[in-house]
Amino acid sequence: MHELSVVIEVVKTVEEFARENGVTRIGKLVLQIGELSSMIPKYIEDCFPCAVDGTSMADTKLEIEILPGNGRCRPCGEVFNMVANRGACPACGAKDAEILSGREFMIKEIVAC
Amino acid sequence: MDAFKVLEIKKNVYDGNDRRAESLRGSLRRDGVFMLNLMSSPGSGKTTTVMRTIEALRGELRLGVLEADIDSDVDARTVAGSGTRVIQLHSGGMCHLTADMARQGLDGLGTDGLDLVILENIGNLICTAEVDVGASRSAMILSVPEGDDKPLKYPMMFERVDALLINKIDALSLFDFDIEAVKERVTAMNPKARIFPISAKTGEGVAEWADWLRSAVRDWKRA
Repeated sequence: MHELSVVIEVVKTVEEFARENGVTRIGKLVLQIGELSSMIPKYIEDCFPCAVDGTSMADTKLEIEILPGNGRCRPCGEVFNMVANRGACPACGAKDAEILSGREFMIKEIVAC
Repeated sequence: MDAFKVLEIKKNVYDGNDRRAESLRGSLRRDGVFMLNLMSSPGSGKTTTVMRTIEALRGELRLGVLEADIDSDVDARTVAGSGTRVIQLHSGGMCHLTADMARQGLDGLGTDGLDLVILENIGNLICTAEVDVGASRSAMILSVPEGDDKPLKYPMMFERVDALLINKIDALSLFDFDIEAVKERVTAMNPKARIFPISAKTGEGVAEWADWLRSAVRDWKRA
């Protein structure tokens, strides 16, 4: 499954970061996922318990922030949400936009206790 | 209440893999081994194309193959039958390979004396495009029965590859597949992509593809 393998990678990265920074207990992990990323937040949440099982993050809570998938229309310059408008510019109707944001998949922060 | 503190990480999740991919690319560069990441959906004719490519480059480039699948070794057996060095990787259900898995595969294969390794990635048009495996160049196969609309449906793969093979052109008369439309769509999103219509079954177009690959390996070795 796509999400599980990626979340396992996230857990490894966070554990490494925690070790380097002398953090022993991670209370919460905050991820940022763009609306245009191939990651489905619901699936990430579902597989998180499996990914942290047996690690130092077994009790860590997961929080996901969604980043908007925005684009700029190449013909007219309008900035709009790609998802809500199904990729079509609400001002001129063109389907030719440059993606500004929304493909991210970031580890934002951890809350150490 | 527990005292707590927030530590900002701000790291792209793919950073770890990207780093490992870069380091693998570096070691392949030092060893002079060119790795081609070959991607496509299942059933596009990857293994048949690999066999044709082996035939076309035999005697010129010393070639190895990494076969990646979720399970089975049918592809590796097919390739081994041609006398080529091959190893089968099992992803164990994972839908794409990572740089770590590619490195393990290369270690298992043994790259000494090889010029070119073809990594036949898992049949999947989605996340294989996103995950850097450390290859020198990437190529994909789109086969005629899949339809000419695939560049519209799976843009990321088509945006990123260096070469696109349109396979099974011997079956064009059976399908409503417009090669020109594919070329137009792909060129619009990825002007650098070289496009080769081929039939791995009859061998049509394979020479042009092999020429490109041969030059890509030589140019890379010289660089």
